[in-house]
Amino acid sequence: MDKNKVYVDPLNIVFAKAMEITTYIGLIIMVVFGLLYLFNLHSFVNMKVAVNNWHLPVSTFWKEVKGVEIHGYHWFISNLPAMDCISEIGICILALAPLAGLVSGLFKTKEQKIYTILFLILIIEFLFAILKPIILPSVGGH
Amino acid sequence: MKRFLWFSLCVFILLLLYTNIGLAEIDPVSQTSTGSHWWIWPIILFVFTFIIGLVAPMSGVGGGVLFVPLSTAFFPFSVDFIRGAGLIMALTSALASSPELIRKGLANVKIMAPVVCVSMVTSIIGGIVGLWITNAFPSGKYYIIIALGAVLFIIFIVMLTSKRVEFPEVKEQDSLSKALGLTGSWFEPSLNKIVEYKTTRLLVGIFFFSLVGFIAGMFGLGAGWANVPVLNLLMGAPIKVATSTSMAIISVNDAAAAWIYISKGAVLPLIVIPSVLGISIGARIGAKLAVKAKPVFVKYLVMSVMLLAAILNIIKGLKGLHVI
Repeated sequence: MDKNKVYVDPLNIVFAKAMEITTYIGLIIMVVFGLLYLFNLHSFVNMKVAVNNWHLPVSTFWKEVKGVEIHGYHWFISNLPAMDCISEIGICILALAPLAGLVSGLFKTKEQKIYTILFLILIIEFLFAILKPIILPSVGGH
Repeated sequence: MKRFLWFSLCVFILLLLYTNIGLAEIDPVSQTSTGSHWWIWPIILFVFTFIIGLVAPMSGVGGGVLFVPLSTAFFPFSVDFIRGAGLIMALTSALASSPELIRKGLANVKIMAPVVCVSMVTSIIGGIVGLWITNAFPSGKYYIIIALGAVLFIIFIVMLTSKRVEFPEVKEQDSLSKALGLTGSWFEPSLNKIVEYKTTRLLVGIFFFSLVGFIAGMFGLGAGWANVPVLNLLMGAPIKVATSTSMAIISVNDAAAAWIYISKGAVLPLIVIPSVLGISIGARIGAKLAVKAKPVFVKYLVMSVMLLAAILNIIKGLKGLHVI
């Protein structure tokens, strides 16, 4: 046995593995479709119009560029064939990577009840962060 | 991963030049209000973030800490989009490095979990408050720019004064840290042995991390500049464990705050994609250069740039408010 082999808690290993896989998926989708968007394939936000308005605060920007108020995730989910919206999905997958790690890690906390509780709290907090724009759109709104 | 990034770089430059130069020739509408061709911006962003990526590993700061204030000071984008992009950049770097650091025993999920329980909430609140200020008040963005300048001053002072302790000695753990089993080990090549460590003062650490989380969410910064001193000097984590665990903390905090920016439409692929690519590729080269370069010189160079950016942001904010 290698004397330099370090013992790392399985909880850490499972967390890392799930986070890594999700990160790669998110990164590839984000970058590939983001590049296709930059090369003028089918887009939701016209780049020329965006550049002319990106000095505006975000709420005014969307009113000027698309004539809409943005709340939640409907704006890119409902326009998925557009390359920038698919790239946005990649960003969402990237932002889900720690949640994937937490959910996977939860199953390795059985013998450490305190971490089961901590991981459950973290998962609930994370789900709240994702759902907050849908269930409480006016809190911190425009 | 490395091949993927290099491939992306080549494809990015070649196709962008080919597609957009051709378009610009036939489309006179492709002029922005500033008189530049619109397509030049992704290239400028890529080059700008590439340089940040080169310098950041040599100076010991995260790329987001340089990107957000410098972009706010020099670029025409709204501070909302800059913070959104900064957050995704910090998130990408943290997610890319954390898994390997965890496997080596350097980043410790057990230290991260109790800290993030609190700091995730404050980072979400920070994101909400930041976007609310810029959009609810006519001059809101100038308040944010001034506050960003002030935060930069704090970062500058932290970098100037804080010392790093390679292997802090923790004689006794507090009861909470002991109950949570906040210990770990990693193989240290410079000593050719396995180093064991334990941390302490968890409650005080959580208090500081809650403040840091708020600032990170509000300004779209990765917060390694604050996480590392708290973990290292206050909680007694060895410096390598502190920097690595800080990455894991940033990955969870910034991911949670990112949803606020995504839902408000403040994460534009037009800004994010060139920035993420530029900083990722630059950081990989920068990490290799850091071995040969004189890190102390680069550190002070970057600190000077941060100080300059702080002053410029405060002047920009005050001008926007017609105070000067």
